[in-house]
Amino acid sequence: MALLLILLVVATGFVNPNILRFKSLVEILNASLTLVLIALGEMFVIFTRGIDVSVGAATGLAAVILGTTLNLGWPVGLAILAALSTGVLAGAVNAFGVTFLRVPPIIMTLGTLGIYRGLMRIITGGSWIENLPQSIKDPNLWGFLGVPFFVWATFLVLAVTAWTTLRFRPARFFYAVGDNEQGAYVLGLPVRATQFVAYTLAGLFAALAAVVYTSQIGFVSMNAADGYELKAIAANVLGGVSLTGGAGTPLGAAVGALFMTAVHSMLIFLGVPGIWDNAFAGLILLLVVYADYRLRRALELQRRQARILGEGGGSGG
Amino acid sequence: MREGRWASVTPLLELEGVWKVFSGVPVLKGVRFSLEPGEIHALLGGNGSGKSTLMKIIAGVYAMDAGTMRFKGASVRVDSPSAAHALGIYMVPQEPHIFPHLSLLENLGMGLPYGAKELSDRVRPVMEALEFHADLFEPAAFLSIAQQQLLEIVRGLLREASVLIFDEPTSALTFREAEHLFERMRRLAREGIGIVFISHRLGEVMEVADRVSVLRDGVMVLEGPTEALTPHDLVRAMLPEATDVPVEPTERRGTTGSDPVLEVRGLSSEAFRDANFRLYPGEVLGVAGLVGSGRTELAEAIAGLDPHARGEVRVGGVPLRRLGPAESQRRGLVYVPEDRHAHGIFLELASLYTMTASILPELGRVFLSTAKEAAVGRRFVDSLNIKLHSLWQPAGTLSGGNQQKVVLAKALATRPRVIILDEPTRGIDASARRDVYRLIRALAEQGVGVLLISSELEEVVELSDRVLVMHKGRILGMLEGEAITLERVTEASFGNRGVSA
Repeated sequence: MALLLILLVVATGFVNPNILRFKSLVEILNASLTLVLIALGEMFVIFTRGIDVSVGAATGLAAVILGTTLNLGWPVGLAILAALSTGVLAGAVNAFGVTFLRVPPIIMTLGTLGIYRGLMRIITGGSWIENLPQSIKDPNLWGFLGVPFFVWATFLVLAVTAWTTLRFRPARFFYAVGDNEQGAYVLGLPVRATQFVAYTLAGLFAALAAVVYTSQIGFVSMNAADGYELKAIAANVLGGVSLTGGAGTPLGAAVGALFMTAVHSMLIFLGVPGIWDNAFAGLILLLVVYADYRLRRALELQRRQARILGEGGGSGG
Repeated sequence: MREGRWASVTPLLELEGVWKVFSGVPVLKGVRFSLEPGEIHALLGGNGSGKSTLMKIIAGVYAMDAGTMRFKGASVRVDSPSAAHALGIYMVPQEPHIFPHLSLLENLGMGLPYGAKELSDRVRPVMEALEFHADLFEPAAFLSIAQQQLLEIVRGLLREASVLIFDEPTSALTFREAEHLFERMRRLAREGIGIVFISHRLGEVMEVADRVSVLRDGVMVLEGPTEALTPHDLVRAMLPEATDVPVEPTERRGTTGSDPVLEVRGLSSEAFRDANFRLYPGEVLGVAGLVGSGRTELAEAIAGLDPHARGEVRVGGVPLRRLGPAESQRRGLVYVPEDRHAHGIFLELASLYTMTASILPELGRVFLSTAKEAAVGRRFVDSLNIKLHSLWQPAGTLSGGNQQKVVLAKALATRPRVIILDEPTRGIDASARRDVYRLIRALAEQGVGVLLISSELEEVVELSDRVLVMHKGRILGMLEGEAITLERVTEASFGNRGVSA
C-alpha cells in the first residue's frame, strides 16, 4: 500500500514535477492530518469487528465546543481539554449503546451521528463560529525543519499508537475480540470492556482531529468534518484493516488516510477539473483496493502452496 | 502413615445432585460425577442426554441450578470460564477457539499475564512434551484442526490445569490424528492430570478410558471401570428404557432387478479413492465409516460440489460430468448436506422461502404465485409434521429438528430420484428423529434411491437395505441382509475386513 502511494506520487511527478517539491509533499501531509487522526480512532472500532459512522460528527461537535469555549474567553489549554472531553464522552455514549444496550454498531452510531450534528446546531444556533482567538491558530504556524508542528504532533501520536498496539498487552485484546469474540470470552478476556474502550478511543481521536482541524481552518462551520466517517472507514480498508475484524496496523490505517488525501492533491496537480474530483477519487479507490486484494490473494496462495509442498508427507502433529 | 495412601486419594472433582433447567425443561436431574487424578473418565450419552451441559457447568460456562461441586475436596463455585481456569479446569472445546489472524504464540498467550519472552519460554517445553511441532509465528489460520486442538491443550497446560475436558475431540480428526491424540491423553493422565473424555464412539471409549459414565435424559444411568463393561452394556445404557427401538424394524429388501438410479464408477478425490457402487430405486443404501473415512467427501463429489473429483456418476443411466449442484438437481439428484446452517437453510428468512428455494421456476415465470408457494409449504408442513406458528416464521427460530425438516422439504420439493442425506439426524431430538426415519422409509417406498450417510451406526443399521462401509478413503465392501448388524458395521468401520467385497 505504501509502495502504491509512492508510485502514484512519482507517476504524478512525471506529469507535474511540482508535486515532488518538498513544500508540496509537506502540504499533502498537512492536509491529511485530520483524516489520519480520525482513521486511527476508527481503526480500534474496526479491530473489534465494529463500525463507527459518527466519528465525523464527533469531530464536528468537539470543534464546536472548542470554538465556543474559546470565544467565551477560556484559555486555550482548558478549551482543548473541554473538546477532548467532549470527544471521549461522544465515544463513550456509542460504547454504552453498543456494549451494554447491545444496539448494532451501525444503528447506534448512525443515531449518534444525527444527534452530534444536531447538537452542533443547537449549541451555535446554526451559525459558524468565527473570530477565533489567535492562540488556537498559532500552533498551525509553528514548525520545525520546515515541517509544521501538527505534522510532528500527529506523527508522535501515530508512533505512540503503533508502539502501544504492538507491545501493550491489553491492546492485543482488540484484535482477539474482533477475531473470535466467543473464543475471547471463553479465555476470560474482558470482551465488553475492550469494545467499550475501542469506541471511546474513536471519540478521543475524533476530538484530537477537531483541534488540528480548527487550528488549521481558523473557523468552525456546521459542515466541519462532514463525510469524514466514510473516508476514515475507506482509509482503514485501504490500509489493510479488515472490516471483519482482527487484522490491521495503525501504520496501515495512517497510510490509507494519507492516500485518500493524496489522491485529491494529485488530481489537482494533474490539472483535473474540480468537478471530476470526487468521481476520480472514488475510481482510484476502487482500483487500488481491487489490486491490493488480488495481490494479497496471490501471495497467500503462493504461501499455502509452498507449505503443502514443504510438508510433503505431512505429519500427524 | 495410613495404609490408604492410594486407596483414598481425594478426587479432583466431585459433583453431586446437579440440576439444570433450560426454559422449564430439566436437562440434568440430580447428576453425580467424579474424577480421580490420573484417570481418563469417558462420558457417554446420546444427543440431548445432558453431557455437554454437565461439562459446561464444570467449565464455568453455565451455572448449575442446584447441586454442589468440590474441587480437590474443597467446595467451589465456578461462575465463569476464568474462574474455572483459575482452579485448573480447562475445557478443550469441540471446535477450538482460535484467533485466525493472530500468530500461534499470540493465540497461546491470550488471557495469560506473560510477556512475549516469558511466554515462549513457557510454551516451548509444553509443546515439546506434546510433540506439537509448529511455527510459533505463523497465523493460527494455517493450523490443521488437529493442531488447533493441540493449541487448546497447550492453553490448558499453560494454566496448569489438573482437569482437562475433551468435548468430542475426535469428531473432526482423521483416524491417525485421533490415535496421536489418545497417546497424548494417556501421557497426560500418567502425569496425574484428570481427563474427562466425551465421545459417542464406543470403540474409542473402550480403547482409552479407565472409567465410563453414561448419561441418559439427564440421569447418570451407568458408571464403572471400563474393563468390567462391554460395548453392549454401554449401548443398552444409552438407549431409551421402554421403547428400545424408536420405530418398527425395517424389512430389508434385496436389490430389485430394475436399473440403478445412481451409478458411481471409479470416482476419486483427495479424500477417497476409486469408489464404485450402484443405488437402486426404492433402496436405502447406508454409508458407514468413521469421520475422516471420506464419507462426506464422497457425497459432495457425487453431488457435483468437488471440482477436482475424477470418475463417473450416472443418474438414471445418464452421466453427470462435473455439472455442479444446479444441473445435478435438474437431473433428479439432491444432496442434503451435514451442516444445515452453513449450506442448507436461510435462517433469517421465512421458513417457506427455504422450502421453495429450489423450485422457484415452478411458482411462476417472472412473478411468483404466493398462493402456489404457500400450498407447497402447507403440504410439507403436514406431511413432514413440521412444527411452526406460520409459514413466514424465520427458520432460525425453529428447533433443530424442525429446521432439518424444512431443509428436507426443500430437497423433496424438486421430486428427486436420488437423495443423498448426510447426517440427517445430527443434533435433533428423538421425536423429530422418528419423523425423519419415517420420511426416509416413505421415500424409499415411493421409489426414490436414498444414500444415507451417518456416523450413528445404529441409524445406518436400522434404516439401510444395504450398507457400504468406508475406511480411510476406500470402500471396504458391502453388507447385505442378515449381515447388517451393529457389531458387523462397527467392526467394519474400524477397518476390520469381514465384509463381502
